[in-house]
Amino acid sequence: MFFLSLIEHTLCLPPHLLNLPLDEAIKGELETLFLDKVIPNLGLCISIYDIRDIKDGFIYPGDGASTYTVHTASKIKHVEKWNKDFSANKAFSTFETECTHWVQFRLVMFRPFVGEIIVGKLKSSDANGLKLSISFFDDIHIPVHLLPNPSSLMPNPENKHQGVWSWEFQDEQYPIDGKDEIRFRVHSISYPPIPIEQEKEAKPFAPMVITGSLDYDGLGPISWWV
Amino acid sequence: MKIVQANAGALTNFEVLDFLRSRGASTDPTRVIAPVAPSEFKVYDYLVQSAVCNQTRESINEFLKRCEKYDLANAEKLNIINIRPSSLVEIDPIIEECEKRMKSEDVEELVEMVVQVLPEHPASVGIERGTDVDKISPDQELMEAN
Repeated sequence: MFFLSLIEHTLCLPPHLLNLPLDEAIKGELETLFLDKVIPNLGLCISIYDIRDIKDGFIYPGDGASTYTVHTASKIKHVEKWNKDFSANKAFSTFETECTHWVQFRLVMFRPFVGEIIVGKLKSSDANGLKLSISFFDDIHIPVHLLPNPSSLMPNPENKHQGVWSWEFQDEQYPIDGKDEIRFRVHSISYPPIPIEQEKEAKPFAPMVITGSLDYDGLGPISWWV
Repeated sequence: MKIVQANAGALTNFEVLDFLRSRGASTDPTRVIAPVAPSEFKVYDYLVQSAVCNQTRESINEFLKRCEKYDLANAEKLNIINIRPSSLVEIDPIIEECEKRMKSEDVEELVEMVVQVLPEHPASVGIERGTDVDKISPDQELMEAN
């Protein structure tokens, strides 16, 4: 389910973070930027795994931003260099300094591979198929043609759009009613492009959608097989 | 932002759980002061009630050693470690073309090895040993990025 991805990024540290140790300040900024966000074709960022390298920052004269490289091994070097840079650029830097750093780091990404078996819970069930959720990720869709064959929908009398899917096997009905967890196989992952306009009533945009399949022995609610 | 390596290594669910634990995530009330974000806690909560919550590095290494003779693909070993199948029907969707690649005695042996080596999910009810099902504990593979 999870992969490590190696990323390089140049980020700007706002002035109020400059009193923190550099590692902490940079980690905090990375978390604000990447945590719980989807990167297309990489997946959902779960966590910052580690920071590999931070390179010299440099000062852009005029806007008060100072960006420079710091080698994380030595914090003392960092402070000395900062002081040197500050005095050398006295003419340009103001007290509103920002620090820009080039950082190389690894992220823990949630990106299941095709064919992976994942256990999830039923979120909703309607004529289009099932929607499953795994607490930190909700956009898992099991379309009708990937349900166990043959399946039939028993519509909910209260709500026409919802219903309970039920698998028919050896003359017995096995409903998927959400009482226990459901095992599914990942069929594909898609990253729909961000829509330019959305209608007011439309569902919130899902940047990453997993399509799953239940059409195999051993898949479906765990109680069917255990 | 530049992606240097999209895939710098796969992680088993256990490794992610271990990583979050080392950052301070836990299920008791002290979790509120740990430096762990709410979204990370959701991942932690999901993993802690899944089949990997009792796993250890030793059991995973043991699994990897013992499953070498079955010639499984890395993806299959990862699936087995994450799901911990305890019966033939549970391991069936994991191994591609199971009947062609492995004889049924080998699959039974593998399931038995899985059940032996990998710790059981605490919430699962013990599966009764039938005459036709031999549980084998899968060896767990650690696929860590360098």
